[in-house]
Amino acid sequence: MTTQSNAKSAFLSPRAKHTAGLTVRWILAVLVTVIMVFPLFWMLSTALKTEQEVMSSKLVFWPAVIQWDNFVYPFRKVPFLRYMLNTACVTAMQMTSELLLGIMAAYAFSKGKFHGKHLLFVVVLGAMMIPIQVTFIPLYIVIARVGWMNTYWGVWIAGCVSSYSIFLLRQAFMTVDDSYIEAARVDGMGKMSIIFRIMVPMCKPTVITVALTAFMSGWNSYFWPKVIIKAQNMYVLTVGVQRLRTSYGNEATANYHQIMAGVLLSVIPVFIVFAIFQKHMLSGYTKAAMK
Amino acid sequence: MKKTKAVTIDGRVMHIRREKYYWSDFFLALPAVLLLVLITYYPILELIRISFTDWRLTMTSAPEYVGWKNWTWLFTAKTSIRYLLNSLQVTLVYTVCNIAIDLGFGMLFAHLFNHLTRPFAAMRALVFMPRYIAMSSCGIIFLWMLNTDYGVINKMLEYLGMTEHLNWLGDDNLAMVSILMLTGWHGVGYCMMIYLSALLGISRDYYEASSLDGATGLQQFRYITLPLLSPTTLFLFITTFISSMKVYQSVDVMTGGGPRNKTAVMVYYIYDLAFNDNRIDRSAVTALLFFVILLVVTVSTMRITNRNVHYEA
Repeated sequence: MTTQSNAKSAFLSPRAKHTAGLTVRWILAVLVTVIMVFPLFWMLSTALKTEQEVMSSKLVFWPAVIQWDNFVYPFRKVPFLRYMLNTACVTAMQMTSELLLGIMAAYAFSKGKFHGKHLLFVVVLGAMMIPIQVTFIPLYIVIARVGWMNTYWGVWIAGCVSSYSIFLLRQAFMTVDDSYIEAARVDGMGKMSIIFRIMVPMCKPTVITVALTAFMSGWNSYFWPKVIIKAQNMYVLTVGVQRLRTSYGNEATANYHQIMAGVLLSVIPVFIVFAIFQKHMLSGYTKAAMK
Repeated sequence: MKKTKAVTIDGRVMHIRREKYYWSDFFLALPAVLLLVLITYYPILELIRISFTDWRLTMTSAPEYVGWKNWTWLFTAKTSIRYLLNSLQVTLVYTVCNIAIDLGFGMLFAHLFNHLTRPFAAMRALVFMPRYIAMSSCGIIFLWMLNTDYGVINKMLEYLGMTEHLNWLGDDNLAMVSILMLTGWHGVGYCMMIYLSALLGISRDYYEASSLDGATGLQQFRYITLPLLSPTTLFLFITTFISSMKVYQSVDVMTGGGPRNKTAVMVYYIYDLAFNDNRIDRSAVTALLFFVILLVVTVSTMRITNRNVHYEA
């Protein structure tokens, strides 16, 4: 510390400087956090207000009396429960197929031996470069031809498998030592039980990460469901929640206390998952960047 | 084929096992690969085919092949050029601004929250939280906050002494600003977390050695942190670039392309051609152009920066 004697520390001792720096850091960090959380707080507080409080010329930060009635509106206006069910079903289907197919493929690409392994893996990675926003037209035509318009399968297909999760799982499987697999094989384990009883438990954190990413992308997807679902009772939440803010004649309405109640209900499942798996989710995102 | 292969080692002939290939492994990979091909590669080929036909959404008979008609329409027709150039410009402006906001604030926040105590971990989680919430829900929240008459942002500006309420979503320039606010708020936490994990990977030795040599904080940032973070920046640049180029959800919820097409981004235009104009063929041509732009920029960025990126020795 003594070597750091530059002009500034002539006025402040290193210790005082440290304390001052820490205080500034705290103030700024709290400020940033408050700003970032504010929109979510505003959603919550608006959802609990009366119409007068929402439309008043003064800012009302928290309602005088909490208005639980607002939460009736989304269920009255649209088949909100049905939307939740649709979203849950599609998300569950996508998670299942993405995990199952992803784990199998990841095993093949990490521990398996077959002709064309590298070529096929390049095919998998290349798929990351092609977003649904480019491919939706031909896919729409195929789905219409198969008769999957307005069905769960139609929504499912666009997120049924993800090259990104195959990649993440493969990276994890590669770290498992071959001797475990050899030992299991000697004990007479089949390929499937090796995958699901040895590889998956040994790479549990990555599997959880992939499951959570699949949940998020399923629950929050908007573009493809909007393309493929035209029947209003088959909407998913992301698309259905938009109907809350328009009248039947498609005019924008301003009953934001009720609209926010609907928005709040639609994000609650995500909050619950976030609260339970917070650590896994954060590490999952960074894992991807580190490769 | 014989199971063993003869090799000569030290003058003696040894029989070692040939590398074995398993069909079962191939079939493990097959379902995933087939589905991926079906939902990504096949549509690209099909797009090329559609681009040479006369294909309407409402059509019942088989489409006719019309040669390069759609392509010439895309690049020469007055109706196309105007919207195409507009959507290209809007998308580009959005992409550049969004990358600057996400990476800039991401880097800033990463430094700010780079403090390994529990309260800071909690605050980091809160900053990251918007990322989990569907853009469609976030869009409605921002629509409400930016509401001209009753929105909280205009009311706060009023407290700060602004007399006129801003028409955030109806103004030609402010509409894009509104969308950038929404997507910046949504995406900055992700960049922060990625930058932070990269920051933690930089050895403290560099900073200690340089401060012994009398380097200031700013110099350390410029000559140590920034170069060592360049692989991370490249990663974030490419992922943010792709996600910004295909922006749709926030625009659809917030402005619907308006006012006066000032926020009509590429994907919005492609969607519009297909489902509002019922011109599948024209939409396909535009989608192909969009895809080529994505591909060219991503690949060339990787090529160019690969030479200039510093990897830790």
